[in-house]
Amino acid sequence: MSSTMSHPQNQAMEPVGIGAGALTGHDVHREAPKGPQGLPPSNFYAPFRPKEIAGAVALIGYLVVLCAVWAAMMIFGDWAIVGLFRVLGASLPAAELWGNAIANILFVVLAFVMLLATLLTMGERKWSAFIQDRIGPNRARLPGLKNHAFWGIPHILADVGKMMTKEEVVPAMGNQTLFHLAPAIAFAPAVILFAVIPLSPDFTLWGEHLHIGVAPHLNQGLLYIFAIASIGVLGTSLGGWASNNKYGLLGAMRASAQMISYEVTLGLTLVGLMLIFGTLRLDSMMSQQTGHLFGFLPNWGVFYQPLAIVAYFAAASAEIKRAPFDLPEGDSEIVGYFIEYSGLKFGIYMIGEFVEVVVFAGLFTTLFFGGYHLPWGEGWLAGHLGPTWLAGLQVLTFLAKTVFFCWLSLAVRWTYPRFRYDQVMNLGWKLLLPASIANVALTGVVILAGGMHGAAIMGIVELVILLAWVVGAVGVRRSGKETLLPTESAAASEHG
Amino acid sequence: MPIDTVTIREPDYGPRERLYLRELVRGLLITSRHFFRNLFGERDLNSEVGERQGANLIATVSYPEERRAYPPGYRGMHRLVPREDGKPRCVACYMCATVCPAQCIYIEAGEYDQEGIEKYPTRFEIDELRCIVCGFCVEACPKDAIRMDTGTHSPAVLSRPLATFDKEALLKGPAVSHPTDAITYGKSRRGEPLKH
Ligand code: SF4
Ligand code: SF4
Repeated sequence: MSSTMSHPQNQAMEPVGIGAGALTGHDVHREAPKGPQGLPPSNFYAPFRPKEIAGAVALIGYLVVLCAVWAAMMIFGDWAIVGLFRVLGASLPAAELWGNAIANILFVVLAFVMLLATLLTMGERKWSAFIQDRIGPNRARLPGLKNHAFWGIPHILADVGKMMTKEEVVPAMGNQTLFHLAPAIAFAPAVILFAVIPLSPDFTLWGEHLHIGVAPHLNQGLLYIFAIASIGVLGTSLGGWASNNKYGLLGAMRASAQMISYEVTLGLTLVGLMLIFGTLRLDSMMSQQTGHLFGFLPNWGVFYQPLAIVAYFAAASAEIKRAPFDLPEGDSEIVGYFIEYSGLKFGIYMIGEFVEVVVFAGLFTTLFFGGYHLPWGEGWLAGHLGPTWLAGLQVLTFLAKTVFFCWLSLAVRWTYPRFRYDQVMNLGWKLLLPASIANVALTGVVILAGGMHGAAIMGIVELVILLAWVVGAVGVRRSGKETLLPTESAAASEHG
Repeated sequence: MPIDTVTIREPDYGPRERLYLRELVRGLLITSRHFFRNLFGERDLNSEVGERQGANLIATVSYPEERRAYPPGYRGMHRLVPREDGKPRCVACYMCATVCPAQCIYIEAGEYDQEGIEKYPTRFEIDELRCIVCGFCVEACPKDAIRMDTGTHSPAVLSRPLATFDKEALLKGPAVSHPTDAITYGKSRRGEPLKH
């Protein structure tokens, strides 16, 4: 028994004796652990089996069908409500204005954003479990369906029940009004931010002129986003301050400093897009992202502004206060600005975070990844199916892209460790901000010199450099072996 | 003897390390690899986790539904070993009760009236809640009459008295006989086991 239990460290120690390597433990890290404990499981590199591939295809199929049902619900709901206004005797422009607005508030903001955010609360727990080789929540069952865990979705109901029935503790010495108001102030901007995002172009269904998206024709689309997004910091800082708790206040301070710092970057990264598309309106940005660059690349923002994408993604993660930028919460150090909140108010903060994830995924899709546009074949589809069907497919595309970027945001959250506070500030002010300013300057110069075409070439060159950097083809290779940690390589060179 | 010291220099990060874009992407690829393997791979329920097949990397054994077999030598619930005729091998010698550090074995001895037969327990109770599962009783027993080889652990109970198991509950499992049994349990002069 004892021979099989021997720790890898002992094995490394014995032959070396009391050498420097053994004392500092560098040898221990350099060799792969020998015992059965340290080895990866036998199936670590196993390929997918055919039935697993079939299962994967089926799962993706389910997801597409789900998004299609969602899209159909939006489109037909919109049509029905506009029709209802017509039947009730409204004039045509009024019916289209109010019908579209109300239907989109119902179906886009409530049924899509809220529902997706709710699903993401479970998605985060389940996906993080998969990332960490765990099963994740699977114990809550629906009545009568005791044998199926439904991927943990019944846990959402249990969570809601828990939040609603929990005792609400209100700190006696806090500011009562602000304490009750703060969750709403934090939550509302997140929801209404989605209003300007277009989910489809304008189209006609059975005689009604429809569009999916509450107010995509807003002239000041991007400014609206900046304005509303910066209100969010009020909710968190007021919440932390009003709860009269030092940890809450600390979280609020961190939140306000971080969010205000990164708002600058967030704004500046999008200036490049404004220069390229020459507009603040999201719907006209959309209509410019159709077609192809050089005949085959989708004409998306990603190919004009790759630098801005990296900066925007970091700044957006900081803006929605999720790891690696979750210092305002920092569950393990200070519980954060919502430390005194309980019950449904805490739930609102919690779901607000996921609403922000959805909203920023939607914005990311809209600004950089062509929004509702399919990458290829739109002209062919428009010719063969007609614009209405194409619009339906485009809503579906938008939903799929948004869900994907939600997933990416969550994967980022579960991959990187939390920054230290000075690192956050250094990254924001010393790296991202200069980079985004340089990006704006560069974009401006290139557009003046070469127009849209020049901007596209610049973007693609940038993208190639970034990709090459990531793949490791350029950049100075560190001397020594790649596998050594920096401290180890220093120690190794010390001792030859 | 002077001790070797190691001076660890601050690592010299170039712009490439500072931006760590490549490392970010690599990290993301690792986590998404695990994610997709576990999402699409079918979970193998083999209780030997190291031998699981397929792309799924989840190593969990969801306990009440899936169970791992206990290893050989696992000290499980006690049992009183029966003789070939179904009576306990125990001769009520109190050795186990004496050695038990938790004082959780209670024995009352009785005596058979027939000639040539040793004592037997009229009561034999083990309080499994007090038992510390040390296995001393098994080693102390001169007659191999108590064993912990049932391969189960003591079950969860709803009240304390239910965790005290009596002779009838403990007497189970395969019978055991030893060549020396004749000396202990007695044989008639004609070589047949005595009827009790
Ligand atoms: S295992 Fe140890 S504690 Fe339990 S009954 Fe036997 S001697 Fe007593
Ligand atoms: S030591 Fe063995 S024979 Fe003696 S009382 Fe205990 S179980 Fe019975």
